[in-house]
Amino acid sequence: MKKIVFLLPILALTLVACEDVIDLDTETGPAQLVVDGWITNQTGPQTIRLTQTAGYFDNAPAKPVLGATVVVTDEAGTKYEFKDLKSNGQYAWTPFSPTNPLGHEGGEYTLSVKTSGEDYRATTHLYPVPRIDSLTYFFEKPPFVTDGDPKDGYQAEFFARDLPGEGNCYWIKVFKNGKYYAKTNDIVLAYDAAFNPGSSSDGLLFILPIRRSITPELWQERDTVRIELHAIPKEAFFFLQQVRLESSNQGLFATPPSNIISNVVNQNSGGRKALGFFGGSLISGFQTVIDPKKARPKP
Amino acid sequence: MLKFIQFLLLLLPLGLLAQAPDAPPGMGRATISGYVKDAADGEGIIGVSVYVKERGTGTVTNAYGFYSLTLPSGAYTLVFSFINYEKVTRRIELSTTDVKLDLELREEVRQLQEVVVKSRREDDNVRSVEMSVNRVDMKTIRAMPALLGEVDLVKSIQLLPGVSTVGEGASGFNVRGGDISQNLVLLDEAPVYNSSHLFGFFSVFNPDAVKDVKLIKGGIPANYGGRISSILDVRMKEGNSKKAELNAGVGAIFSRLAYERPLFKGKGSFIVAARRSYIDVLAKPFLKGDLKGSKFYFYDLTAKANYRIDDKNTVFVSGYFGRDVFGSEEFGFDWGNGTVSGRWNHVFNNKLFLNLTSYYSNYKYGLGTKQSDPNAKDKFEWESKIVSWSVKPDFTYFLTPENQISFGGQYINYDSQPGSATARSNGESRNISLESRYGDESALYISNEQKIGSGLTLQYGLRYSMYRALGPGQIYAYETIIPGARRAPDFPGTTYKSGAVIQQYGNWEPRFSANVGVSPSASVKVSYNRTTQYLHLLSNTAASSPLDVWTLSSKSIKPQIADQVALGWFQNFQDNAYEFSIETYYKDLQNQLDYVRNSDLLLNPFVEGDLLTGKGRAYGAEFYLKKNKGRLTGWISYTLARTERLVDGVNNSGWFPTRFDKTHNLSTVALYDLGNKWSVSANFAFSSGTPATYPTNRFEWNGWALPNNYYDARNNNRIPAYHRLDFSATKRVNHGPFSKRGSAEWVFSVYNAYNRRNPFSVFVRQNETDSRVTEAVRYAIFGSIVPAVTYNFRF
Repeated sequence: MKKIVFLLPILALTLVACEDVIDLDTETGPAQLVVDGWITNQTGPQTIRLTQTAGYFDNAPAKPVLGATVVVTDEAGTKYEFKDLKSNGQYAWTPFSPTNPLGHEGGEYTLSVKTSGEDYRATTHLYPVPRIDSLTYFFEKPPFVTDGDPKDGYQAEFFARDLPGEGNCYWIKVFKNGKYYAKTNDIVLAYDAAFNPGSSSDGLLFILPIRRSITPELWQERDTVRIELHAIPKEAFFFLQQVRLESSNQGLFATPPSNIISNVVNQNSGGRKALGFFGGSLISGFQTVIDPKKARPKP
Repeated sequence: MLKFIQFLLLLLPLGLLAQAPDAPPGMGRATISGYVKDAADGEGIIGVSVYVKERGTGTVTNAYGFYSLTLPSGAYTLVFSFINYEKVTRRIELSTTDVKLDLELREEVRQLQEVVVKSRREDDNVRSVEMSVNRVDMKTIRAMPALLGEVDLVKSIQLLPGVSTVGEGASGFNVRGGDISQNLVLLDEAPVYNSSHLFGFFSVFNPDAVKDVKLIKGGIPANYGGRISSILDVRMKEGNSKKAELNAGVGAIFSRLAYERPLFKGKGSFIVAARRSYIDVLAKPFLKGDLKGSKFYFYDLTAKANYRIDDKNTVFVSGYFGRDVFGSEEFGFDWGNGTVSGRWNHVFNNKLFLNLTSYYSNYKYGLGTKQSDPNAKDKFEWESKIVSWSVKPDFTYFLTPENQISFGGQYINYDSQPGSATARSNGESRNISLESRYGDESALYISNEQKIGSGLTLQYGLRYSMYRALGPGQIYAYETIIPGARRAPDFPGTTYKSGAVIQQYGNWEPRFSANVGVSPSASVKVSYNRTTQYLHLLSNTAASSPLDVWTLSSKSIKPQIADQVALGWFQNFQDNAYEFSIETYYKDLQNQLDYVRNSDLLLNPFVEGDLLTGKGRAYGAEFYLKKNKGRLTGWISYTLARTERLVDGVNNSGWFPTRFDKTHNLSTVALYDLGNKWSVSANFAFSSGTPATYPTNRFEWNGWALPNNYYDARNNNRIPAYHRLDFSATKRVNHGPFSKRGSAEWVFSVYNAYNRRNPFSVFVRQNETDSRVTEAVRYAIFGSIVPAVTYNFRF
């Protein structure tokens, strides 16, 4: 539903609002710990990045937090120690064997970060993920295109069904020729099979706008399309929803900017708070190469 | 009915009854009453001063042009006067029989060569007990420069003291620190839930059909209730009862047509006025392929009829219907209001006047995909509406010339459907509807306007309002664990049967105003009023969107309450050529709504868990200088104000300014008549930048630079100031296209004349090409000068 609300300003066809990048003086607050951690059941190394906040317009690379003790404990009590081997704030854990990944379906993982005398904790879960059954595409020539975008190409649609049970959340990621569409406005989220809680879409095939959301720009012949469907915890859904909102909270229908809620909690309630998020997902994927001969007729 | 009246009369303060009759016993008294109308078109005139020369007192006509005066028998000179109308003087002999005196006022022919200043009672603003009230006559509104040349009532009142807006293009208006949902917008006494077309760019009131606009910001009389900040009372034209008339116009956005004519040999009349945007019609030939089914238009239809059955009975029926429609074959979105109101004016006798109103009003929106295809495998349809109907008797009892009593009541029934939606994915449908909510609001009031001597006028009254949230419904309680955070419902909740009272609220609302005459041309006024509001607009965006849902008070949403005190100095200069006032006010607001972070206000069955409540305060000083006479007319208004909220869990539970807080707000309007053919006008507006929340820090997550405010502050900064100059020039012509037999005018206007990119907001974002780079962006609704030409004609 939120998605539709975003359409409102676009509807005002005749109105030409204008945006100018300006200089702004803002106050800078004290530095805080930032946790950027995401675990999966994938076989490679798992990384948790620790950095510090900086002044909002300070566009230098984020300062790493060094010398922290970073441990993930699963529901069985197994501890996974993450080490900053390169002293760049990237704390990594490498499986002993490729068949022995950190994450597994149904697991609960608690992160502990000890730094500057504080102990920060966050917990996440790995939930089951549905299979992507297929991916189709059809040729499209839109009446309007933004400058720089392809004038025509293929609109893709994937088919997958939300797992039974209310409140399954998903993050859909799109890769073009191996390159991830990484902008915040490329974030596609699903709550059950639709956009928001309260939409009673449990167990449905993902609704059409989500199925068709995998075309950030029209696909071209021979492009490799890769879709990843991540099953994410509810807190991660709300975190990412807020990331998307606060990254471009603009226009007539902007909401009051507010801080993005973190799931990382300082055990010392009077201590400085941390930002960021520790999450995790199980992933199912689908990959295909655009072949005009296999394109469907436009529905 | 009689019992009810007796009951209300009992509530009258005893002081009134103790008042000695001012005629010696044995000497007769009689009442003179009647209607005052416009000689040109037979419209009743509101607010005409009726002055009794011999006694130095008088009255004014009510909203229907009716007046009544009771005087001891004798000979009197009555002076009827109204701004821009010729004064009428009548000699009457009153014995003991009542006199009926209807008359017509003729519009003054403006003397352009020499300004004739006449001695007239145009000092209503100084004399009347009303304060914090602004009237703008439609003629002035028409003459002011307008965005894209479209005459706009709401945009015009934004230039009055104490009135502001969150920014250009935003829907509605803010009065003395209140949000837009706290204004009761009445169109012929029926509430209009959304007063905008195209989000907020144009208001829904068709200038061709509006007769009179009155904005009450404070000292709200007891007959009004239901919203806490202001009353915008818009009265529609009754239609010309003398001759048929056709008005039409072609502007940049709307084309308009209005027809009015007498009915039943002048005993009645009607008007029908329609407007429609026409850009889609012009664009049609150019739309090909997928755009062929594109829809983008908005329209409104306003109509009114009246019939004077006899001297004692007049009936009116008015209606409004407007809609905005956008979409394509794939996707559609439409919204709009509809209102119907019927009124019966009855004169029981020379002293007792009744206006009985009944209305039906709804606001509805719908959106969806593949709406026209019932067999689509994938579709989505969503509708939301609020429907209300009401009965409202208002009595005016002209007890003595010194005491005018108003009493009455109102019953309103609400049916709110916050959202009803169905989604279909791959042939499987789901119903996502929220429960409808029901409730009713009733009120009783009585008030008296009392003149004491020649220097003091009081208006005191009391209103009792009651709201009941009614079943059926499944109602949950919400417990606050962390202030400011989303609250979860307590399951399983309570089930209420149809008609069961879920929650009841009652409030006494005292109203008081006083006018102390300081000199013949100056007075001090003071007022206090309490107002309550049982209906809330859930809106968490800078400008309200058409999707915002009106929500009824419930167990967890308490009624909003405001207490306001105001003090003012009113003075006229140079024989009422200039009106001047200074008013200060302080307002205390309870149960103001705010929202949790990332709130989800649409189609959320537990939306009450996303609401926060807090309190508010607003205070300010308003300066107003208006020139009423001569070739140059207009006003300067300056407001110094503050409006703040305090909400547990927001801004570290400290006071913060609202999104529409403006410290300084200056408006000037100048209209100048150049001669037979041309008139010109200009507006200048300056206001402080509105508050904004800027981040103090950035943090990186997944390659994105994200904002964070270390202090978790709300509205801790301000965007740059706003200022704008507009011009317009009107040329009257006798013969133009389509007007061989009538008259016509060309209106040339320029909005934002010196091309300033006024910020609506300043926001931060990631750079388009590198998500790790942050930038600040100024967002302006109009990035350039907006010129327009409009052609109006009538015959």
